[in-house]
Amino acid sequence: MRSRMRAGASWLRAVLLAATVLLVAGCLHNQNQGTSIPPLPAAGERVDPGLGPEAQPLSSGPGYKGSPSWSPRGGRIAFTVDGYVVDKPVGTGDTRRWTTRDFVAEDAEWISEDGLAIFGATSATATAGEASRSVYRARPAEGSLGVEEVATEVLAMSPGPGGKGLVVAAEMEPYESKLALLRDSGAIDRIYTSAVRGRVTGLSLSPDGRNAVLAARTAGDLNSFELHVFDLRADTHRRLARLEEGMEIFGAPQWTKRGICYVVGKEGTSVGGGTEPLYDLYTITQGSDSPEPTPGVGDDFVASSIRVSPDGGRLAVIGRLNPKAPINLYVLDLATQNLEDLTVNEDMEIKTGPDDLAWSPDGESIAIVARGTLSEEPRVRAAPKGALLEDFYNLYEVPVEGREAAR
Amino acid sequence: MREAVLWISGAALAFFVTAGAFLMLANLGTGPSEKNLTPNPPPAETGPALELTLNKERLASLKALPGQELEVGVRNAGDEDLSGVNLTVEVSSENTALSDARYYRENVNELPAGNSVPVRFYLDLSTYESTASSTPSASAAPQPPRKMIEVRATTPEGASAIKTAIVPI
Repeated sequence: MRSRMRAGASWLRAVLLAATVLLVAGCLHNQNQGTSIPPLPAAGERVDPGLGPEAQPLSSGPGYKGSPSWSPRGGRIAFTVDGYVVDKPVGTGDTRRWTTRDFVAEDAEWISEDGLAIFGATSATATAGEASRSVYRARPAEGSLGVEEVATEVLAMSPGPGGKGLVVAAEMEPYESKLALLRDSGAIDRIYTSAVRGRVTGLSLSPDGRNAVLAARTAGDLNSFELHVFDLRADTHRRLARLEEGMEIFGAPQWTKRGICYVVGKEGTSVGGGTEPLYDLYTITQGSDSPEPTPGVGDDFVASSIRVSPDGGRLAVIGRLNPKAPINLYVLDLATQNLEDLTVNEDMEIKTGPDDLAWSPDGESIAIVARGTLSEEPRVRAAPKGALLEDFYNLYEVPVEGREAAR
Repeated sequence: MREAVLWISGAALAFFVTAGAFLMLANLGTGPSEKNLTPNPPPAETGPALELTLNKERLASLKALPGQELEVGVRNAGDEDLSGVNLTVEVSSENTALSDARYYRENVNELPAGNSVPVRFYLDLSTYESTASSTPSASAAPQPPRKMIEVRATTPEGASAIKTAIVPI
């Protein structure tokens, strides 16, 4: 009797074991090989704004827009419009204003999920050129459009290590720049004592946040530019390179996994009858002090603005394949030296300012600013002004994998 | 020995039973597991239709001065007569930091089906002194801002039309 019961139990165990194994195997098989079929886009949802079908608008309506900046979690995007600062959800949603109209913001960077650092000036102090500005802190939750000045005499700024806080370069003495680390609250966390001789024109941090690379006009000879590397832990810096006289560094040099990339050029060379300068892309690889043309973009490539990806492995470049080619957005994989075009420009003007492109925090999209070619003739559209796209500079989200997937 | 045979035969039987069940289930589900759903078409417009026309040549002759004549063509493209067509015109700057919008309003009492009428507005396209190029926001954009003329037409029956002209003056 006992032996029969044991045999029955063994049977049951065997059946249960086999069924469990098969069920698990079946489920795993389904999980690994099943593919998700994306739903069809709703009719009229996607628009081709003249940058290729993958580019999708993030803003609409009139206003001179620029300086896009994704929030740390990527859910919102801030940008400047006619000198003031707004942000909005990356999907649908209302625009939220951060500053008053009598403000001239040049750049806005998130210092926390709900706080922005704004580089600019109030109407009373607005200046032109490379003169120093102030950095202001703004928080929409505080219920007013007021901004708090947290640093003065600022020459350049960059989001702090890990995207928190802010690193600013300020002109402490004439032609002498010092770095300072600001907290999310705007309070000064640290002032670095090591001074850079010259006026810093752009700065960015290394992917690990331990170093900064600075472009600076040289003290005593403001026609010359230098690149400096700043060790933020040791509070020391060294000159990495000095450019020929008359050559300038455009925007902030970018610290990548393959070295430091920067755009350098000389004013005065015309493109298509215009006065747009020709800029080249250079790289100083790790362990080297000699700049070399960045491999992968081609000899004729004209770079305008660059931005390193959050992982430091790719470089977003707005530029032309040659001086007569249209401006497009490219991504250069620095490891494989593969240059991929992400936009197909059809008579659009893509803004080429140093702050007019931004990576999303997950590295999957890039925001750029573009509009249709200006016309001397009036244009009539069958839409309200707030819904118009190509007639004004507007922000577009370009997926990094979009073109590759479409091919 | 007997127990080992029982174990092996039991496991084999369970395997075949379960595999058979899975095969049967797999054959039952022959359709796609996920389906692309075609979005519902937008609701068809009902009622009377309005059309607005702005003459580009006339727009090109506008100047940044007061008293500029704008002619708007309003057409009843539907098959029902319309009464009380409200027309509003908003003139504003491309520079959104400037609060210089001006508003104009006209009314068309009767508009029979298939007919069109011209409606004239006399617009002040001059720039407010307070929005001159010396304002801080003017330095944000390199080009002088264009004027935008947004024309809306609505009827009590619910018909509407809109046109926006961007005029470089």
